[in-house]
Amino acid sequence: MKKTLFATLLLTSSIFATVNVATTYNYLGEVTKAIGGDLVKVDVLANPKLDPHFITPKPSLIGKLRREDLLIINGGQLEIGWLPPLLKRANNSKIDNGGRGFLDASGAVTLIDKPVNVSRAYGDVHPDGNPHYALSIDNITPIAELISMKLSQIDPANGAKYSANFKTFKSNIERLKSKLAPIIKGCQGKKVIQYHELFNYALDAFGAEKVSNIEPLPGISPSSKHTLELINIMKSQKIDTILQDVYHEKRTAKFIANKTGATIKIIPHDVGATNTANTIEEFYTEVATKICQ
Amino acid sequence: MPTLPLSLKYKINKTLLTPIFYGEIMKKTILISVALSTLMLHATEKSDLENRVKVLEKALNAQKQDKLKQALNKSNSFNQKSFIPDISLILSGSAVARDIDNDQYEGYGIDGFVESTDEIPFNKNRGFNLNYAEFGMHSVVGPYFDADAIFHLSPNEFEIEEAYITSKKFPANLQLKAGSFKSGFGRINAIHQHAQHFSNQPLVYEAMLGVEGIKDAGVSLNWVAPTDTYIMAGAEALQGTNELSFGRSGSNNLYVGYLKTGFDLGDSNSILAGGSVAFGKTENGDSKLYGGELTLKHTIDSYSSLAWQSEYLYRNREDIKQSGYYTQLIYDKDSNWEFGVRYDALNKNSVNQPDDLKKYSAIVQYKPFEFTKLRLQINHDKSKSFEGIRKDENQLLLEFLVETGAHGAHAF
Repeated sequence: MKKTLFATLLLTSSIFATVNVATTYNYLGEVTKAIGGDLVKVDVLANPKLDPHFITPKPSLIGKLRREDLLIINGGQLEIGWLPPLLKRANNSKIDNGGRGFLDASGAVTLIDKPVNVSRAYGDVHPDGNPHYALSIDNITPIAELISMKLSQIDPANGAKYSANFKTFKSNIERLKSKLAPIIKGCQGKKVIQYHELFNYALDAFGAEKVSNIEPLPGISPSSKHTLELINIMKSQKIDTILQDVYHEKRTAKFIANKTGATIKIIPHDVGATNTANTIEEFYTEVATKICQ
Repeated sequence: MPTLPLSLKYKINKTLLTPIFYGEIMKKTILISVALSTLMLHATEKSDLENRVKVLEKALNAQKQDKLKQALNKSNSFNQKSFIPDISLILSGSAVARDIDNDQYEGYGIDGFVESTDEIPFNKNRGFNLNYAEFGMHSVVGPYFDADAIFHLSPNEFEIEEAYITSKKFPANLQLKAGSFKSGFGRINAIHQHAQHFSNQPLVYEAMLGVEGIKDAGVSLNWVAPTDTYIMAGAEALQGTNELSFGRSGSNNLYVGYLKTGFDLGDSNSILAGGSVAFGKTENGDSKLYGGELTLKHTIDSYSSLAWQSEYLYRNREDIKQSGYYTQLIYDKDSNWEFGVRYDALNKNSVNQPDDLKKYSAIVQYKPFEFTKLRLQINHDKSKSFEGIRKDENQLLLEFLVETGAHGAHAF
């Protein structure tokens, strides 16, 4: 009895106290916390209220990256404008691209809108496809499963706990999907305008139609010519909804709404982007309610 | 519909045909006819399905055959396209209006610091300039090293700006750099011209180190502390070819050390501070350079920020003590517009040399798209001497700067 107790103690002491995880965006952090519980300590690098493409590579993020065991990124070139210099500076071989502690969550999902021609003539294009796949609740379960598998790979002793937590997560999401199903019906055939191609995954899943964007091309600021064209399109097709994110300027959308009578809906793009979307459940509920109701 | 023998049977005994009984018969009739028709449908469905599976199998086989046929001609077996380095091309050109003629301007001096400059790589001519075509390459050599090279191509010169390897899995989280590179001394020495906020360097760098700054062959070792606060320590051993501050050619003469720290104050403020030293030798004696830097950046929203950056350099070269500093304010208004002002001063000079050498700069930058910058900069320069005579210089310059290809993101 004493021998087995001693052996167990030895075994437990050789397991990770906690797995230190850094995630680029908040939704990845929330999923990791749901799967890992107290087995993980999560640092989120980006502020969810800011544009995910243009996060400032502050030196304070380097200190965090220096000590992590695992880095989880969104991928699809969303972090390419700010993360690599931080990684280079942090010089943490565990989490470098190709290291054991590096996870690109986009591997778990299928990206849409892959450009036929990759050229900056078309603006700030993402060669692998639209990276904002987290906007569809259908994608969060495979991502959670991927994170669970990765955590089990890094911390095999706790594999069973990660799996169990994933099962709970999965059923919570399924419940949420059923709850949202009647709300989503309101989106069938609904036509919308977006500022930037942020909500495509949600719109496709809801059966809504994205007609055009306020940005003439990705990454290009609105121009008067394009804005006027947009107003005409909205009037002729009777489009009454503009989906605006929390971080872009609101002037242009307000101007368009004024001329067309459309409603501007501010939609979160990440957990914590708005004050009412502080958990994964609240986030997907808000996305569905604001777009479809 | 198949025949219903049962209904015939029951039709004969009419006394039994009460409404309820009749209802029961109808139910059974319907059930039986459905069962029979389902069986018939199953039969047709089954052969339908069988046919479709046959078609699919045939198509699959045809695909396999096609693949084999193509494989007969497969010949790109030694293609190494996936391993091509990341390549970027950066172009800078400018139009300059200046109240000093080009012949006078060439070889300008900064009293007490620079007798006559022998190289003006950027914005040299009154008129039009192609400053450079910068060719950058980055490649992963293997699990242990990355390689970077930056070439500057200008009308008369091909220059290796930097070429070095960086380690990735060194023990104790050390990072080794070896090759020819720009030193990590100070805040801006290592930053390339296209990544700076102004089209030309601060006066104190120009005066003490020249436009190239500290750039040498050597080795560098960096270490980042495992703390939440960013603390980075670096040590470099360099050849020391910079003739303005060092330059003893008999052997390598320059050792550089720096300590930098950065932390956040709340969600929207970042501070970066540091101290650097560079100890080397000139042909005639010792030369020591000290630098202090402070940057405060306030993030207003996703696209706008306000940054205040200052540096102070002190040099003791062959017992001559000199110092200078700059302070600049950069307002990033949105994703298209940036404004900056900078004040440069050389406040301490050698005996009998002026200590009121100053320069004022202001810049407006328009960025129609992420990788295209158009800059309008105005300078009022009171620090230069032309053909031995100190004279104010006024300059208006319009620069275009484009980055193309696979250029990595810039650091903070």
